[in-house]
Amino acid sequence: MMAPALEIKNLTHYYYKGTKNQIAAVENVSLTVEKGETLGIIGHTGSGKSTLISHFNGLLKPDEGEVIVDGKNIFENKETLRQSRFKVGLCFQYPEYQLFEETVYKDIAFGPKNMKLPSEEIDRRVQNAAKLAGVKQELLNKSPFDLSGGEKRRAAIAGVMSMEPEVLVLDEPAAGLDPAGRLDLIKMIRHYRDVTGCTVIIVSHSMEDIARIADRVCVLANAKVAMHGTVKEVYSKGDELRSMGLNVPEITRIMLMLREKGIDVPADIYSPDDAVSAVRNYIEGRRGV
Amino acid sequence: MISEITIGQYYTGDSLLHRMDPRMKFDLTFLLVVFVFACKSFFSLALVAMFTLVAILFSSVPLKMILRSIKPIVIIILFTAVLNIIYTTGGETYFKWRSIEITEKGINTAIFMAVRIILLVVISSLLTYTTTPTSLTDAIERLLSPLSVFHIKVHTLAMMMTLALRFIPTLIEEIDRIMNAQKARGAELETGGLIARSKALVPVFIPLMVSSFRRAYELAFAMTCRCYTGGEGRTRMKQMKLRARDFLALFTVIAVIAGIFVLNHFFEAVI
Ligand SMILES: Nc1ncnc2c1ncn2[C@@H]1O[C@H](COP(=O)(O)OP(=O)(O)O)[C@@H](O)[C@H]1O
Ligand SMILES: [Mg+2]
Repeated sequence: MMAPALEIKNLTHYYYKGTKNQIAAVENVSLTVEKGETLGIIGHTGSGKSTLISHFNGLLKPDEGEVIVDGKNIFENKETLRQSRFKVGLCFQYPEYQLFEETVYKDIAFGPKNMKLPSEEIDRRVQNAAKLAGVKQELLNKSPFDLSGGEKRRAAIAGVMSMEPEVLVLDEPAAGLDPAGRLDLIKMIRHYRDVTGCTVIIVSHSMEDIARIADRVCVLANAKVAMHGTVKEVYSKGDELRSMGLNVPEITRIMLMLREKGIDVPADIYSPDDAVSAVRNYIEGRRGV
Repeated sequence: MISEITIGQYYTGDSLLHRMDPRMKFDLTFLLVVFVFACKSFFSLALVAMFTLVAILFSSVPLKMILRSIKPIVIIILFTAVLNIIYTTGGETYFKWRSIEITEKGINTAIFMAVRIILLVVISSLLTYTTTPTSLTDAIERLLSPLSVFHIKVHTLAMMMTLALRFIPTLIEEIDRIMNAQKARGAELETGGLIARSKALVPVFIPLMVSSFRRAYELAFAMTCRCYTGGEGRTRMKQMKLRARDFLALFTVIAVIAGIFVLNHFFEAVI
């Protein structure tokens, strides 16, 4: 069997360790992410999502537990740690604040350059990543500081994609965007996954966004894994999610309410479009009787 | 990690010293520091030391924290002590080797100076331990306000100081965040020689500058929206008011200062 893309075993991370303020930001979390899979990590603000993903490429060292990328413990030695930076591409929340180069092109090339790749390969990767992330060709020679907010976000994500990581981890990639922008961004990531076949881990507190892209969902609450399963399995437990400060998508709530009224529509509906066709099907089904 | 550096050293508490008016605390600290230099004999120095000890007890700041404030200057203390032992001569000679002579007076002076430096540091750190940076700048603003006669914008200066202090933790967090983002793109920030390392800081420094300017504009905008126009006619949310405890502290300090002179007069001077 293929080794999983990423394996987390009993990971615990404390902040302010050994002082009276010590808190466990991540506590005894285990996770397995198979190759090519898209995992959604969801949880309330402060539930430890960002802390957890900072371990995936060794930016944070676990106080307990292991991080295994592609079958290897990343903390084994310096080289495995360095490799993990390139194998797991981590894109933090508000990545546009990391842009610094004179041109967008150079900024996207920063990662591949650090990998010490030959210049033709760097060029290929930059062009490819720009296309995947939806950064228009004519923007590449502009200063990143002259871009609009949405363009900056895409340029910054391209800067991680250009390393061509085996696992792409995105922390709240759609944060601060308007609904249309969110949808576009999620579509872009979905396209990236379909084209490259890479493993994608996407962190969000938006149930809608996760439903649109993830195969499996892991729910974090108070530093621990509270739920784990397919989107359908997790989203069917609306009450439990609500108790963790999360909410199933509005449209799913409406469908659940319809079901309570005895109207037999499916419960696993996460987008208004699907809801429209489900309701239409239902009505037509009744007419047919 | 950078975020572990603590700047400003306020120790959260609700002791008598914490509750004192920051202006009075500032003034009394200043007075004590000046009059530590007026101490001539061990006995007057011991009086100040005793007062400081009592103040520490009243401050609820653990002794460990106080000792930590002395740690950075241990080298200086030792250095001045050695110099004093070697260069001050007089009284009985304990040891002599070529031109180096260790005498009673030398040792006494060395101890005296060491205690004096420690007292100075402990007294001033007691101020910063029990006063938040913000109330400290508030106090400084009030105390410097007479300077506005010379057209010095005291309020503006104090506001700049307060804002700078306020943004230190924010900037540290920001640096941490940017460093992590660049490390995730394979930047090597912690290896290589001096030149390689300073070059590697460019990807951290530029985003930091950009976001600092952005923050500054946002803050200025937010302050303008709340009708901030500078110090003129501005009232305070936290009114500083002198209370009985402040006067009590004042009288105690005056008594200590008087005691210093009395003890100086009756006991032999060390320096
Ligand atoms: N650098 C840090 N230092 C100290 N505490 C932190 C730090 N980063 C996060 N925390 C704390 O750890 C907990 C989890 O935070 P985080 O991982 O950012 O959660 P999320 O990304 O789910 O919002 C929070 O209680 C937060 O206050
Ligand atoms: Mg987060």
